[in-house]
Amino acid sequence: MVHTLKEQDVKYGEELNTKPKKFILWLFVVSSTIMFGGFTSFYIVFAASKGKGHGLVLPDAFMYSSLILIGSSVCLFLAAKALKAGNIGSQKVLLWGTMVLALVFGYLQVDAWSALYHTGATLVNNNAAISLIYIVSGFHLLHIFGGLCFILNCLFGAYGKIPAAKAKYRMEIASIFWHFIDILWIYLYVFLLLNS
Amino acid sequence: MSTISLHDTHNHDSHDDHGHHKETFLTKYVFSQDHKMIAKQFLITGIIMAVIAMGLSILFRLQLAWPDTNFPILETFLGTWAEGGRIKPDFYLALVTIHGTIMVFFVLTAGLSGTFSNLLIPLQIGARDMASPFLNMLSYWFFFGACVIMMSSFFIQTGPASAGWTVYPPLSALPTAIKGSALGMTLWLISMIMFVASSLMGGINYVSTVLNMRTKGMDLWKMPLTIWAFFLTAILGILSFPVLVAGVVLLIFDRSFGTSFYLSDIVMGTQVLPNEGGSPILWQHLFWFLGHPEVYIVIMPALGISSEVISVNSRKPIFGYHAMIYSLIGITVLSFIVWGHHMFVTGMNPLLGGVFMITTLIIAVPSAVKTFNYLATLWRGNIKFTPAMLFAIGLVSFFISGGLTGIFLGNASLDINLHDTYFVVAHFHLVMGSAAIFGMLAGVYHWYPKMFGRMMSSKLGYLHFWLTFISAYLVFFPLHFLGLDGVPRRYYAFTEFEFMQKWLTVNVFVTWAAIIGALAQVAFLWNFFYNIFRGKKAPQNPWESNTLEWTTPVEHLHGNWPGEIPTVYRWPYDYSKPGSEADFIPQTVPFSQTMSSNMPHDFEGNTESERIQREWEAKNVPATEKLD
Repeated sequence: MVHTLKEQDVKYGEELNTKPKKFILWLFVVSSTIMFGGFTSFYIVFAASKGKGHGLVLPDAFMYSSLILIGSSVCLFLAAKALKAGNIGSQKVLLWGTMVLALVFGYLQVDAWSALYHTGATLVNNNAAISLIYIVSGFHLLHIFGGLCFILNCLFGAYGKIPAAKAKYRMEIASIFWHFIDILWIYLYVFLLLNS
Repeated sequence: MSTISLHDTHNHDSHDDHGHHKETFLTKYVFSQDHKMIAKQFLITGIIMAVIAMGLSILFRLQLAWPDTNFPILETFLGTWAEGGRIKPDFYLALVTIHGTIMVFFVLTAGLSGTFSNLLIPLQIGARDMASPFLNMLSYWFFFGACVIMMSSFFIQTGPASAGWTVYPPLSALPTAIKGSALGMTLWLISMIMFVASSLMGGINYVSTVLNMRTKGMDLWKMPLTIWAFFLTAILGILSFPVLVAGVVLLIFDRSFGTSFYLSDIVMGTQVLPNEGGSPILWQHLFWFLGHPEVYIVIMPALGISSEVISVNSRKPIFGYHAMIYSLIGITVLSFIVWGHHMFVTGMNPLLGGVFMITTLIIAVPSAVKTFNYLATLWRGNIKFTPAMLFAIGLVSFFISGGLTGIFLGNASLDINLHDTYFVVAHFHLVMGSAAIFGMLAGVYHWYPKMFGRMMSSKLGYLHFWLTFISAYLVFFPLHFLGLDGVPRRYYAFTEFEFMQKWLTVNVFVTWAAIIGALAQVAFLWNFFYNIFRGKKAPQNPWESNTLEWTTPVEHLHGNWPGEIPTVYRWPYDYSKPGSEADFIPQTVPFSQTMSSNMPHDFEGNTESERIQREWEAKNVPATEKLD
């Protein structure tokens, strides 16, 4: 029994139809949002039942790191634009820029933890709201590592020779995820600021 | 259109130069990315886990029936867990905990959704494979890892987790509280995180595949009800499992790092613990925000499967196709706002309890719609009692008998009495346990020819059904009365309380029924595994069904269909359509080939088709027979 496969059908299984895969990422974004929603609802219910939040002035490092993260998002946006314009050279530079800003962000987060720690607001704490600051920022940092993998993937693409469609796909995936974790952090930061 | 690839379905050695990858044993059977193979992996792992969990239940049923008898054989197998042939209290708690965990998550979530979503979504919507086959493979292997880690806790000195399948803190949060809160609990949590990762990878894939990869003509309202059920189940999972992760993470921090998310004012023996300010009730909120949708994650695929099986074997269109879908959607939405009914006795504000009570009771509406639709489909059908059909009808029976007690438990005032008694155990074992497992078995009997290309024995199937059906009722029905009398669940030695001693004889009866039910599964296991190799070869469409999966060749091939994916023209339930010669019209048959059976509403307002139909009727149908 010999069957023939038509060209369009074979291509279907390959990389060209990227819509379902991009959709997968969007669904991951949804579920990740819900996990953080779980953490912050814990915070809200906890704070409401105890009549107290974390009660701290958040370290400045969190503010700087937020600005840096916004900067990295802008950088990545420009990288995507450069790719669209066919300018691989500046795409590479901008991707590296995003990487560096992400690393600075990570450093600042750790710095903020150490500032918290030195003021006595430790992870092991009888105020669960304070412990939760570490948890949400820590889990957000894990997402940053995930995002870095996507950006590295783009960089490998930019240095290696891959088809333009694939490079565009990688860039889109990285952009969706990176802008998501950017917005996610702003949400978490503002949440922690407002619910002190 | 150029021909660039040849696929030979019989001889795997012949390849042209185009990239049809050479499959090795590892890529074909182990790290397979083919949805059909992954479905089989999920099914067989699920069956193995189900047998283990059933074995655990027999062990604790022995203790409940004969609390004062020694069974030396138990010591032979279980060693210090059953010194002197008596199951120890610690181990008893571990048994009920792991039985629940395995059944709810590993069998009825992964085993059920993992098997049938994987098998049927691409086949019934007309796709070559999942949106991301790689993620799909990863989903299975995370599940497998979760199973291994969960089972490994039987081989450590302190034994498996013992805080019940809901692992409420503070019991679960303090490693020194009981033996089962030590390493076993840590393994439980790790296993659960892996399980959630697996479920999410699977669920995300299912949703993306259903929304993006349907074949030409397959709009959402032409999808079989199975697909609707799997799709909505996957959405439930995506929206609820992450919350469990959040809860579990905080529990891990409480256990291993000394935080106080769930802990406050604890005295262990004479020692006052430093934890302050936490609240164990918060765990219950996070857990049941997942936990309640979870019971619908368990039952909805089973409901979808029975819709399909009942319609096919009644040779009738499913009654109320749209109502079925809206009911599923209703259940999906409502399931997120009822979690508080598990927490009526936590000191919840009675007003809030009232709200949860109302939302809970509203779920009776879509559930009843579904039940009546099943019955209306059966009504005056040309019923073929295949084993799959029997199990599907069994599901309807359990869904009714177990669902009715849900109305009792949904009432806060009644639940305060019945909470944590055997009444609850009876309720959920019927409506969620038995109903879902019967749906799963219906699916296995129905799609076995699709999975393995061979038929199962019907006779063994009937034996399996009747023994299982009767013993399931004999096991779970008496438990209602224990519960009404106030016998609490999870107790190791309920006979220590004088007023409960009269229930001992009932427990002996229930245990014998459970043993018979367990032995009945041997008929299934033999039927299943023997016929993979020796079964009668299956025809392409053994049940004369309309859906797309039966248009694929019996021999599996990568990409499912040789050549083009078929186009879909009609809904999947054109059985016994008046005017049609055959009693089924597959979805791939265009209306132009069935002029004698077309109905005005088939054309969905397409005036051109209506005109062609009218012209045909004017020529071919005598005026007296015209319908309109």
